[in-house]
Amino acid sequence: MRAVPAPPGPPQVVPETVGEAAGLLADASAAGTRIRVRGGGTQQGLGYPFSPDLEVCTAGLRKITAWEPEDLTVAVEAGLPIRELEDVLAERGQTAALTERPGAGTVGGALAAGRSGWRRFRYGPLRDRVLEVTLVTGDGRTVTAGGRLVKNVTGYDLPRLAVGSLGSLGLIAQVCLKLWPLPMARATVGVSSAEEALSRSYRPLAVLETERGASVFLSGTPEEVEGQSAALGGEVSEGWDWPDPPAGPLRFSVRTPPSRLRSIVNRLRAAAGFAYVAQFGVGEVTAAGRAEPDFLNGLRAQAEADGGCLALLEAPDELRERVDPWGTPPASLPIQRKLVSLFDPDRILNPGVLPGGL
Amino acid sequence: MLQMLESDLRDLLGDDRVLSDPLERYVFSKDAGIDRGEPSLVVFPHNTAEVAAVVKSAKKHGTAVIPRGAGTGLAGGTVATTPAVLMVVTRMNRIGEVSVEDRCVWAQPGVVNLDLTKHLTSFGFHFAPDPSSQSACTIGGNVANNSGGPHCLAEGTTANHVLALEVVASDGEVFIVGGAAPDPIGLDLRAVLVGSEGTLGIVTDVLVKLTPNPPAVGTLLLAFERVAEAAAVVSEVIAAGVVPAALEMMDQAMVEAVERFARAGFPTEAGAVLIAEVTGHPMAVEAESRLIRGIAERNRAVIIRAAADEAERDDIWRGRKAAFGAIAQMKPDYYLHDTVVPRTKLVEAIESVYEISRRHDIPMLNVFHAGDGNLHPLMTFDASEPGVRERVAAAGEDLIEMCVKLGGALSGEHGIGVEKRDFMPLVFNETDLDAQARIREAFDPDGLLNPNKILPEGSRCFDFGRPPPEGAWV
Repeated sequence: MRAVPAPPGPPQVVPETVGEAAGLLADASAAGTRIRVRGGGTQQGLGYPFSPDLEVCTAGLRKITAWEPEDLTVAVEAGLPIRELEDVLAERGQTAALTERPGAGTVGGALAAGRSGWRRFRYGPLRDRVLEVTLVTGDGRTVTAGGRLVKNVTGYDLPRLAVGSLGSLGLIAQVCLKLWPLPMARATVGVSSAEEALSRSYRPLAVLETERGASVFLSGTPEEVEGQSAALGGEVSEGWDWPDPPAGPLRFSVRTPPSRLRSIVNRLRAAAGFAYVAQFGVGEVTAAGRAEPDFLNGLRAQAEADGGCLALLEAPDELRERVDPWGTPPASLPIQRKLVSLFDPDRILNPGVLPGGL
Repeated sequence: MLQMLESDLRDLLGDDRVLSDPLERYVFSKDAGIDRGEPSLVVFPHNTAEVAAVVKSAKKHGTAVIPRGAGTGLAGGTVATTPAVLMVVTRMNRIGEVSVEDRCVWAQPGVVNLDLTKHLTSFGFHFAPDPSSQSACTIGGNVANNSGGPHCLAEGTTANHVLALEVVASDGEVFIVGGAAPDPIGLDLRAVLVGSEGTLGIVTDVLVKLTPNPPAVGTLLLAFERVAEAAAVVSEVIAAGVVPAALEMMDQAMVEAVERFARAGFPTEAGAVLIAEVTGHPMAVEAESRLIRGIAERNRAVIIRAAADEAERDDIWRGRKAAFGAIAQMKPDYYLHDTVVPRTKLVEAIESVYEISRRHDIPMLNVFHAGDGNLHPLMTFDASEPGVRERVAAAGEDLIEMCVKLGGALSGEHGIGVEKRDFMPLVFNETDLDAQARIREAFDPDGLLNPNKILPEGSRCFDFGRPPPEGAWV
């Protein structure tokens, strides 16, 4: 384990084995040390703020522990950067279909934050692809659930529950992911209407709209990609021209039933000045820009009325005082609270960060 | 206590929806597996409020509640092991309004899987999980077991197709998790509710994701002299970068049984039959079918037959899904097993199945979801033969141990129930099992929802403050 000199903020430790992490958390639990878990640091703006006594960085846990290309599975330590994993997988024509523009993001960070990539319309959300997980619970127990199998119903699906848990059940130490073959052909087709393109293409990878226009992302056999591209009738470019996620001091995500996405996007467009990526067919828009609290709270009210939500991904402190990071907590909060208390009895891992202040 | 509960439930539901007669209780004492146990009472709620009222009433009297769909489960997941109210949800079978734009629909737990798909046909959708029992099994049962089926190779199991659940919690409170919008905030409780076999809550409504019907389908029937050749095709197809919609295999004994029963036109002389189906854009279907044909030829396929039309395709699937019905003609009893291995270990696993079959002198017919390494050895026997039950049990145990040794798990899609719960320590250590037991405790602190399923007694081993349950092996 290395102690790393850190910029102003809590001291940081970097465990290099799962065992080290377990010992660290057991000690922290006994001492009541409040811990922030950090992967690549790309999702630290999520949830309610808290002041940790110690930051545990997963950067020392970055091995690919088992890759079975013929099984289409890979087991990795959670601190492995997504980019590194995808580069290795691509050598054998495979992908974990994680976020396409991960920056410094790690596999564990994507899981903890529950962020799926743009390709989820085709491959399903990230939680559909997590086969096994090893967590170090708040009190230092090392727990494994699931299995390195593409199909398995042995026990409760803790791997799936860990997705989006923001460390509340434990530090995500290792995961096994389902892989997909990289397609033989790829194309990006510029279109005038995302909705029309969605209705006219058969299971594209993604239909995305940004402030600059809409595109359909295709994959498959060369014949299929060519056929679908021609049928869509827009400007075709070879390969995938993925948009960068919107960046800035204020970033947020609005999730709605897919049919209600246009109305949210229209409000963003009318407000002007937002960079955004809207995932048609999925029902999520991620946006960055300047916004008044009233605007965000209004957007949230609409999303929640439709059964969705608005989550702040990153926001300046003064805005957080007037816009809750999560909004109305879910109805199952009492069970969630009980679950968290059974996995992290002393509540030392990212305490209070989740909806409801869990 | 039971009498008071019975009287409460009769007041609540009326006499015609509460069964307590010994013969009636006997009828509901098993599912499609081999375990048996009579419930104390059988009730038939019509709606969520009644489910909640039954749960509250049972809780008041300290009696367990076990939810049940059509009873097609194979792991004893709905078999009573303690005094319990069996809650049969088949009368809750309403399908809500189909949302074409949001690609989802609410279906109550008693809706039959195939009825849902038929209902969706005119909208151009289907419900992707398609267990062989789909003409009888219910959505509630699919959710409880996280059911799969041949087409979950590409589409995933039930968990991938559930957007929201309405749940009656162990205290009788009703809550909804999830929705048509993606990624709800907070912990995603759908994750553990699906596949929880009724131990975490009773599901009273399900928002299912709809899958668009593919514009084109290609179905190939491939026959080989040897099982290993068919298995090699499975590996090579996946390695070539194609994930077909389904890759199903049957061995010769199974093919013969199916042909006698269903006359689907399968070649009975072949050592193994592989059904490969590709779906999608017409051009992709053509290219991928061509690729699979080529791989089959290289692996010395003796028959390569493409379904020319919908009728021929139906014949092929009718044959595959008749596999379990076919067994009834062979011996009076059967025991259908379900285990899973990494798909690269398929050949090794099949050879071991034959070896175990010989060792215990129990005939085993085999049908596999080959694409995802899910084995279904089917043992046939006559339970009236002395000693045969013990041999079947021993063979079953050997099958599980063999699969775990190959890196597999206890169940691919049928669930753990009572049948396999005592094998859980083969795949999980005590810390892992304790974590599983904690999940259960968060949802059902009194242990009244379908007790004694999934987790072996004594799993909650770290909780020294609490006396161990009776008979625990702590």
